[in-house]
Amino acid sequence: MAVCTGCSLLCNDIEVSIDGRRITRTKNLCRKGFGRYRSLTSDRPVPRVDGKQTGIDEAISRAAEMLRNARRPLLFGWSCSTLEAQRKGIELARRTRAIIDDTSSICQGEIVDMIIRRDIPSCTLDDVRNYGDTLIFWGCDPSSSHPRHMSRFSYFPRGEKLQRGHEEDRTAFLIDIRASPTAKILAGNFVQIPPGGDADLIDAMLAVLDGKIPKVRDKKAMISMMNTLKKADMGAIFPGLGLAYSLRGRMDRLKALVDRLNETTRYNVIPMVGHYNMRGFNQLLFDETGFINRVSFADGVDHGPMYSVVEASESCDLAMIVGSDPISSLPAGIAKALARVPLITLDPHRTLTTELSRVVIPTALSGIEAGGSALRMDGVRIEFDPIVKSEYPSDEEVLTRILEEI
Amino acid sequence: MMVTIVTFRDIFQSEAQEVDRFSEEYRRMSAVVFLDKSDAAKAGIKEGSNVLVESDNGRVVVVARISEDAHPGLAFMPNSPWSNRLVPAETDDTRIPSYKSISAKISATDDKVPTVEDLLRGMVS
Ligand code: SF4
Repeated sequence: MAVCTGCSLLCNDIEVSIDGRRITRTKNLCRKGFGRYRSLTSDRPVPRVDGKQTGIDEAISRAAEMLRNARRPLLFGWSCSTLEAQRKGIELARRTRAIIDDTSSICQGEIVDMIIRRDIPSCTLDDVRNYGDTLIFWGCDPSSSHPRHMSRFSYFPRGEKLQRGHEEDRTAFLIDIRASPTAKILAGNFVQIPPGGDADLIDAMLAVLDGKIPKVRDKKAMISMMNTLKKADMGAIFPGLGLAYSLRGRMDRLKALVDRLNETTRYNVIPMVGHYNMRGFNQLLFDETGFINRVSFADGVDHGPMYSVVEASESCDLAMIVGSDPISSLPAGIAKALARVPLITLDPHRTLTTELSRVVIPTALSGIEAGGSALRMDGVRIEFDPIVKSEYPSDEEVLTRILEEI
Repeated sequence: MMVTIVTFRDIFQSEAQEVDRFSEEYRRMSAVVFLDKSDAAKAGIKEGSNVLVESDNGRVVVVARISEDAHPGLAFMPNSPWSNRLVPAETDDTRIPSYKSISAKISATDDKVPTVEDLLRGMVS
């Protein structure tokens, strides 16, 4: 069985037949995962220094030299690397007194932080499959972002305690602003809110729990939803980017709701982390520094918004990007600031960031060409072996060699 | 006509992104805006035609798609380097960009949809 690193579900039931480097047949992959497997043969970058094609060794040496000479380097990306590579990355940040940040800084960081600090309760997806009878998908569209979430773990499967599955034993609600594909599946239980309406909805939910009349248009539907939520034996909330962005800076509202629900029943939260090992990076950095992201090693360990990729893009004098495409994913104004400094990029694919990089080091595609381990969105560790031989080194190998040369 | 742009992730676009960010397929899936039927009619924008989307932070030309569901005042764009042209570079104390709620003006245009290479040129100029 192979593992798919297409999203943070890390599906480990993938069957693959291979002929040389060509994948001839796969089973169980979703469309997104299939894209990841197909990318094995598409658009791989070549090692490059200052616009000229070189050997990998030369690119690695040049990267080490640039890092050695940088005064305020930023090391960013990490959520598409194995735990083993991430560990090396953190070591490299220490050694070069760098700022280190990952993609959680611009997405689910605040929620993952609360979970890792145990400010809100969480559980595994296997617990959800077996016992999760009441689910809330919130500001997410699992059918598109984590296509096998509902079928492998949350909604459709029969669990140990839930033999009648979604037909009778499970109820799932979707709270979102868009009538997404998931909204079509959960049509009867789709709660549509206006942009930024999440905090008001939480207030209304808390009001019902306190026996008050909620300030919403459809009071009856709200009261009925809350009655269902209260009756859960075990509930689960899956916050997506919609909730993360809408409640940014106000995550205490989510905590207030979860705490209140937990006064009478049991609710756990599992954020819909996007990249396959963001959770792993956050856990590793937390174990080493007490913070999940936005850390500077310039003078001991420091943490704060000035070390977020958004601010550090302006203040750094060099950036090393590992398995991420910030030039594509940051707001254009911030990407422009980042593009002004010399970039070193490690990536299995050609991306907007590799195009603007002074040094490009092509790497193996983890899960397919490189083995290692990663933490699934619920923190469960998944190990994987390479299934094809690669001409490219893994992130871990490249980072090890850079460390040796520094 | 003013709308609020909300970005989202689409599975077909994600698949195209996994395979090749420089492909025509990725551009076709990414450089689009889903408009409410009545909003599109008011702005004189037809399915498949080009739309100029302008926010305080930038402007980009993408292709109009008319949604089956009604969502007046809202317009949806897949999260991509095209939508990122519109997202403010300024952030609040959280330093998390406002990807999902951008006030923007939409209008019909004959201008072309930029390629990834065009967007990259804009980054370094
Ligand atoms: S759900 Fe995620 S991990 Fe599973 S096959 Fe699809 S992309 Fe891969």
